[in-house]
Amino acid sequence: MSLSIQALLKNKGIEVKETHLDVLDVRWKGMQALRGNLEHANINDADIGIRNIPGGDHIE
Amino acid sequence: MSKNLIDLAVEELAPLLENKSISPVELTKEVLDHAENSEPQINAYMDIYREDAEKDAQAAEKEILNGQYRGMYHGIPMALKDNLYFKNKVTTMSSKIHKDFVPDYDATVVKKLREAGVIFTGKLSMHEYAWGITNNNPHYGPVRNPWDLDKIPGGSSGGSGAAVAAGSSVASLGTDTAGSIRIPSSACGIVGLKPTHGLVSKYGCYPLAWSLDHIGPMTKTVKDAAGLLEIIAGYDKNDPTSVNVDKENYLSKINGDVKDLVIGVNEDFFFNQVDTDIDKLVRAGIQSLVDQGAKVETVKIPTLQYAEWAELVTSLSEAAAIHDTDLKNRPDDFGDDIRMLFELGQLPSAVDYLQAQQVRRQLKQDFNKAFQQVDVLISPTLPVAPNNIGENLVDLNGKQVDLIDNIIRFTGPANLTGIPGLSVPCGFKANLPIGLQIMGPAFSEALLLNTGYALEQTKPLQGRKPNLLVQS
Repeated sequence: MSLSIQALLKNKGIEVKETHLDVLDVRWKGMQALRGNLEHANINDADIGIRNIPGGDHIE
Repeated sequence: MSKNLIDLAVEELAPLLENKSISPVELTKEVLDHAENSEPQINAYMDIYREDAEKDAQAAEKEILNGQYRGMYHGIPMALKDNLYFKNKVTTMSSKIHKDFVPDYDATVVKKLREAGVIFTGKLSMHEYAWGITNNNPHYGPVRNPWDLDKIPGGSSGGSGAAVAAGSSVASLGTDTAGSIRIPSSACGIVGLKPTHGLVSKYGCYPLAWSLDHIGPMTKTVKDAAGLLEIIAGYDKNDPTSVNVDKENYLSKINGDVKDLVIGVNEDFFFNQVDTDIDKLVRAGIQSLVDQGAKVETVKIPTLQYAEWAELVTSLSEAAAIHDTDLKNRPDDFGDDIRMLFELGQLPSAVDYLQAQQVRRQLKQDFNKAFQQVDVLISPTLPVAPNNIGENLVDLNGKQVDLIDNIIRFTGPANLTGIPGLSVPCGFKANLPIGLQIMGPAFSEALLLNTGYALEQTKPLQGRKPNLLVQS
């Protein structure tokens, strides 16, 4: 797994210190565990709500 | 009187300044002297602006003597976190990469404070780029907690927390992406308010994660926070997320009356895996509000089980995007801890990020539903007490757990949902202050401040101050 994280980041042009790989691996696995499969999250109809406002940032 | 000026809150100093019992010059000199003398111990300042501050204090004195008193913060010496832009002043984000960065404009909050007559004494240290909670900075050294110099002050606004607690800044501003106002406020025994997203302009604040970033007050008292929020709140067309709502007079709404206030307690998330002593202190704080006429109801917020994941994916991804170029071109110029977080932020997919936003949407709906049942939610600000500087693990009821994973657990949801969160002291564990968090519906700052004020009136810190051995 460590190698795949290293390879993935290397493909993006990011050099990872060898000593960071284990920490990254643990943290990434920890995040995946927090996510689970989102089976209890009622998000199917959840609109992310990004606003596309023509002409600027605010409706004045 | 002058011996104790550094211990006084803005609400105590303002009348003295207004009625000319003290001068901004005298106050500023005391704060600057104390800041310089306490720096060897707490290391809160990045830069002290003695010359500018003394000049500004003289100008403020002249105005006040001429009857041109501007309001509560006129003549108050304050230092701000070093990610807020001051025109023509180095603004480092406590980083190596931005060590010589000089903005050519003031942040909106800085501009507003200048107009209110604040005297800027300098810039305060922070966790590098605001991406961490220890303030153990590899480039500028650790900030130390004034209550116990071996402990972290929390972060990322750790310089602000330590300086206000130590009296080397009368009040301050922090920024908060996952808890960075409330965490150091809790750890340093002060009041910290993360306002509703969009209430305070972020223009001129170096971003950590755009959709989660907030600027807010860090102060000695709840009334100081209310007065500061009145100054910095307001619509700003320069900030794309600014919300155009009516200005409020928060101070006038503070009376300490919590009769019939309905407090929500969520046991499943906000009281899960909490240090036993902290749990007791927070429940005692809630009881003190009940003794004043409030009621308590338990509430369910099911989507909270995914809040940590959504907060992490959102903050890591947005921060990684901001620092993408430097991570590729000069990674060794970052501290190791934040470099790893930027690397981690490259891993979530676009689908992960978008699903995190869906979770965020659902979480907002869950909170809205809870706030139909209760007026405010109360939780511990932190589930653990601050640990020793340099340690990555922290004690949780006899078990060593990861510091970062745990310390943002209870603060992150208010960033994800954008709702306001206020941390107020509720007592001590050993000699370290502990914070209680009050959350409410969007734009309910007045209600949170009033609830915090009611708790503050029970004097949970018993008048104690950090015992710094400062040579004067």
